Amino acid sequence: MEHITTPKVENVKLLDRYTNRKPANGTLYLTATHLIYVDASAEVRKETWILHHHIATVEKLPLTTSGCPLLIHCKNFRVAHFVIGHERDCHEVYTSLLKLSQPVKPEELYAFSYNPKMPKDNREIGWKLIDLKVDYQRMGIPNDFWEITDANKDYEVCNTYPPEIVVPKAANKATVLGSSKFRSRGRIPVLSYLYKENNAAICRCSQPLSGFSARCLEDEQMLQAIRQANPGSPFMYVVDTRPKLNAMANRAAGKGYENEDNYDNIRFKFIGIENIHVMRSSLQKLLEVCETKSPSMSDFLTGLENSGWLRHIKAVMDAGVFLAKAVKEEKASVLVHCSDGWDRTAQVCSLASLLLDPFYRTFKGLMVLIEKEWIAMGHKFSHRCGHLDGDLKEVSPVFTQFTECVWQLMQQFPCAFEFNERFLLEIHDHVYSCQFGNFLGTCHREREALKIFEKTHSLWPFLLQKKQEFRNPLYKGFTAYKELKPNTLPFSFQFWCGMYNRFDKGMHPKQCVLDHLLNCMSQKMKLEDSATDLENKLPFLDGPLPDEVCSLSKIVNASVESSKTPMLNTPQDYESEPPALLTNGAIVEEVDIMPSRDQKNKENFVNHHDLPDLHSTMEVIESDAKKEKLQYQ
Amino acid sequence: MGGVNYVTRRRAALQPEEPDEESWEELVPPPPSCPLAGTAAGSWGGREAPGAMLGKGAGGSGAKPAKPSFVSYVSPEEIHIKEPIEKELNLHLLPGELLLCEANTVLKCVQEDGSNRGTYGKLICTNFKIAFLGDESASDDNEPEFKNMIIGENDITLHCIDHIYGVYDEKKKSLSGQLKKYPEKLIIYCKDLRVFHFCLRYTKEEEVKRIVSGIVHHSQTPKLLKRLFLFSYATAAPTNTDIQNQTVMFDAIKDWREELERTKGNMKYKVLSANEAYKVSEKLPLYFVVPMSLSEESILQYQGRGIPIWCWSCHNGASLLKMSAFPKEQEDSTSQMHKIFLDGVYKTINKPPYEVLKTDDLSSSLPSLQDIQAAYTRFKQLFLIDNSTDFWDTDVKWFSLLESTNWLEIVRRCLKKAIEVVEYLEGQNTNILLVEENASDLCCVISSLVQVMMDSHYRTKFGFQSLIQKEWVMGGHCFLDRCNHLRQNDKEEAPVFLLFLDCVWQLVQQYPPAFEFTETYLTVLSDSLYIPIFSTFFFNSQHQKDANMPGDGHNAQSSHFRFLTVWDWSVQFEPKAQVLLNNPLYVEKPKLDKSQRKTTRFKHQRQLSLPLTQTKSSPKRGFFREETDHFIKNILGKRISKLINSSDELHNNFTEFYDSWHCKPIDFHGLLLPHIEGPGIKVWAQRYLRWIPEAQLLGGGTVATATKILDMIEEVQSLQKKMDEKHSRTVPQGREALPMLRNSARLSSLFPFALLQRHSLKPVLPTSTWKDLEDEDDLAKRDDEFVDLSEVI
Repeated sequence: MEHITTPKVENVKLLDRYTNRKPANGTLYLTATHLIYVDASAEVRKETWILHHHIATVEKLPLTTSGCPLLIHCKNFRVAHFVIGHERDCHEVYTSLLKLSQPVKPEELYAFSYNPKMPKDNREIGWKLIDLKVDYQRMGIPNDFWEITDANKDYEVCNTYPPEIVVPKAANKATVLGSSKFRSRGRIPVLSYLYKENNAAICRCSQPLSGFSARCLEDEQMLQAIRQANPGSPFMYVVDTRPKLNAMANRAAGKGYENEDNYDNIRFKFIGIENIHVMRSSLQKLLEVCETKSPSMSDFLTGLENSGWLRHIKAVMDAGVFLAKAVKEEKASVLVHCSDGWDRTAQVCSLASLLLDPFYRTFKGLMVLIEKEWIAMGHKFSHRCGHLDGDLKEVSPVFTQFTECVWQLMQQFPCAFEFNERFLLEIHDHVYSCQFGNFLGTCHREREALKIFEKTHSLWPFLLQKKQEFRNPLYKGFTAYKELKPNTLPFSFQFWCGMYNRFDKGMHPKQCVLDHLLNCMSQKMKLEDSATDLENKLPFLDGPLPDEVCSLSKIVNASVESSKTPMLNTPQDYESEPPALLTNGAIVEEVDIMPSRDQKNKENFVNHHDLPDLHSTMEVIESDAKKEKLQYQ
Repeated sequence: MGGVNYVTRRRAALQPEEPDEESWEELVPPPPSCPLAGTAAGSWGGREAPGAMLGKGAGGSGAKPAKPSFVSYVSPEEIHIKEPIEKELNLHLLPGELLLCEANTVLKCVQEDGSNRGTYGKLICTNFKIAFLGDESASDDNEPEFKNMIIGENDITLHCIDHIYGVYDEKKKSLSGQLKKYPEKLIIYCKDLRVFHFCLRYTKEEEVKRIVSGIVHHSQTPKLLKRLFLFSYATAAPTNTDIQNQTVMFDAIKDWREELERTKGNMKYKVLSANEAYKVSEKLPLYFVVPMSLSEESILQYQGRGIPIWCWSCHNGASLLKMSAFPKEQEDSTSQMHKIFLDGVYKTINKPPYEVLKTDDLSSSLPSLQDIQAAYTRFKQLFLIDNSTDFWDTDVKWFSLLESTNWLEIVRRCLKKAIEVVEYLEGQNTNILLVEENASDLCCVISSLVQVMMDSHYRTKFGFQSLIQKEWVMGGHCFLDRCNHLRQNDKEEAPVFLLFLDCVWQLVQQYPPAFEFTETYLTVLSDSLYIPIFSTFFFNSQHQKDANMPGDGHNAQSSHFRFLTVWDWSVQFEPKAQVLLNNPLYVEKPKLDKSQRKTTRFKHQRQLSLPLTQTKSSPKRGFFREETDHFIKNILGKRISKLINSSDELHNNFTEFYDSWHCKPIDFHGLLLPHIEGPGIKVWAQRYLRWIPEAQLLGGGTVATATKILDMIEEVQSLQKKMDEKHSRTVPQGREALPMLRNSARLSSLFPFALLQRHSLKPVLPTSTWKDLEDEDDLAKRDDEFVDLSEVI
């Protein structure tokens, strides 16, 4: 609070980036956690909330006739352009925001003050929601070849790995420790995913400290153990996700890559994914394209190409596809690394798992995947997202790229994911929001030190609560798709308007199909419910016909099932607005449209059917159904 | 036997024998003693030889036992004993179609790699198509469900051929004219973007000569209009009694009157019949609509040039007009006269009851036809792929390649222009007069786009088809020249209609629920441009069509002669395939009243409730606007209208209108404006990528969405059906009869639909959504094939 000198400024204009409309006029508030802008000129109260942690940069532009412009770029790609009447106010807001957006101490992060007023037990249950052991069990581990060890319980193997790691049974403690001496930062090869059907595994590590000629017997044994854990294949792949040049340059620093001659039966591969610095500047270029005012087709296409962003996304995707193919089709295990094995390796391993295993395409699955490959394995969220005031060179959109890869897959396979785009955006928002403890710090050890499990809440239960609005109405279920084989030709990669232009109204493809479908689903439910109701009425009028009994029970079952997994009953307005995210107040916008929209949907429904007599029955039943659902929720 | 279906097979069986000799220069004269020449032959004499020959087929008395349908030119010892059967199974000729030449043991190569993998078969050339009859077709099981009954998988109509290349010693050369050397490989690029590789290495030299020169001759050399297959087909095809089609053809005065009434343009505009017998102009249709105040003499005076012709009226009374410009005259006096005449016309229109008129010269504000043609030529090269290696090469610079073609920018500019026009009509209550040299190219694009955006009627299937009839077919778009169907003048070629379809696709892609048809419909429509059995896209004008109708009254058989229209989709697709042309998510406009009056009133209110620039504009501008009429009328004449609309303000109005519309929730039955920012405009993947195996995505893509949607709709429907049954069951007496009714209901496609009709007043147009359950059931089974359709083919 000590940073806030001017908590309220009146007569502030908010310019719309794309439209030439008259700018909104309203009041700006600064709170301990948010910047809130209330638009007074609109007929209905319209609030814009910007979380301080979301602010990437604040700029004060040269004074204009209308006032002093303040340009705020957010980490979730919102750009807010305020014009403040008095220069002095503007400067005060500016200095406050600079401090508020870049906390120095971890204790200042929102997560430590965020209090959703829930009992203490719930917090603990929340943290236990995702249990990685269960996921390993799902893969059949422990088994004859793999075991979960607590070899790292005191972080003596690797201080950025979690205490429990999965290694080949054949690798004894000496091998593990020996190998850790030979791997950059001790990040030894550990299991990431085991493809149960053929025992091929995806493992991950950091680069070897091989220099130009160094060898390590234990490391060689380690790789052999991994290869032998998959008896079906005579060889294994070792994939270095860096461009060859980068890897070679590392040799001079005593690091580098595996020498094929030193390891038995490995096939070594480079997959050229660029480093975090290239990715950072690529995103910068992409955002410049996004910010161009009414670009021509040619501006857009050349800008998109010159940014190289989609090429990088494609490189990550290609690597994921390579891994999935190796595992599924060649039945070979793969060991993946980059430099430290926490950026590109995390992207590639998690993407490959997502391609191979339909579980990771469910709500729970994606949470497990992020928890496993990113959080537990020490992706440095705090540095990459710039949570705290620190080295800007460490910031890089590595996780954003993963999110985008998932989205690209969703574009190609619209029915294969249980969740929709908004789920990804929500997760992405919270990676930066520091509202929940999950993404704080850089590794498990640091999070323990921060006591996040005692002091903060976990994101996942919060997301599960809001599951309904994140549901993909097109999802065909767990069994419909096994492994995905995405197309990685250049035209298969689309620009993700929903992410990079998310806050620019008018730029959005209106998600009307989704809307319609949610309508359909709720219709289906209503019809099912009323069918049940009519069935129930039947016995009173007359005994049911013999052949009816079975169908009756079927319908009842169906309707019970559907109430257990309630679908969205009131379709939201996804058309003109990004939905109101973070109900706790991070972003809430123009809630006013919803009722009218709702109304329209209802009208739609009426027109669609025009079954007046059925309708009245349905309405009665609908309310019953709602009550029933409430109980389940 | 893959490509065979019942209908074509039956037609093939009707074919009489082929002539014994083939000749490249002229179509074959009928054998003097052709015993099968039927009634039509007599009427046609020697003029239309093939037609005469096949007259018998048209007669429908073709119940002859199976017989080889043509005489093979291979030497007798080569004729395998089972070959006749195979031929009978494989080759289906349409009525009027003649086999011209053929070659055996041709290898159709798989494009994937340079290797010569592929299937062996027979390559034939007829006066309609080039077809490859391969062994691959033997597998009957995987016959695609969605298939064209006219054009098989390995058929290329002669008009669909874009370029033919021969490969000589690994070098690719364009083939045309007289050939001295014959290539070892034939590469055919099609206008629907298929690429065929036919390896002739294993074919007899003589056959190679014959087939290559035959194909080159029949597809590449200029043709006479009368030689179009269209005529042979129309003569020979069995004449069906008129098929009920709800598409308004605009060839009758009543169609125009109804359109005027529907749009409430009848207060200010009138239908003219002055052009009956084409007295006024051969470019204009028989009937057209002009401002009420325009005198008939002036129309006659300038042969229809310089006359504002009505396209459509907006709910607020503002109208969309088009006009062909006067040619640039050398002589001062003539151009002076034109000018005075035009001023007079403008003045007439600027007077009440008309709104202010704004003219827009499209030839100066949009790319030229040459630009469009050049852009499309570059664009399609991205998708005409010889082998996958080429394709992967595009990898690195896909977006800059796309950008360098400029095609998407042209699409964007057309959409933008259309929005500008919409803004004038809707936002400023201004009449818009589109001017172009012939008013039949970009005028068609822009006026139809405006109507699609503003009038939800044109987003239904029949409405859209009527629109194409109105603006394109009757509007005198030179399909024959623009598609270069006759190969007479390459310079006239320009894919104007494709440009329009691409623009509509952008809209469909952005607002799927607003359209009754799917992108598949648009794709199939674009393919139909090259199928010369439909007259729709094979004439430059209505006059040309009428002038070429055979039998000018003195021929009793002329009633026999009937062109097919492309809108009769049953010619190309079976009903279950046609389902895919309909958008399952489309919801009828919530209006059940047939009375026109109510329609417009309803629409009026709805659109007024939309936030318009007008209501939001600053007081100053509003004041000025209100005064506009007055000013123009009395003091300053038309010049001020140009002053008011200075380009700066135009831009502001445009963006304001565009932005305010996009900020509001969308009404799928109201005004529809496309996104025209960079990310909004996309490549019409279905049309351009459908033949590229590498673009395939198993179980994914928009098709996955579509099938899932169909599944869900089916679910809703079946539940509803179930409920309806239950519901009627509660009616006491009906109970006894019900089990039977229910069983028959499963079979009868009428059941759910009829029931729905009873409960609701469904509009006249059939909805795809609730059509009939049988079709929906089929669809469920078709999931996989449907994937094939757009992703694989």
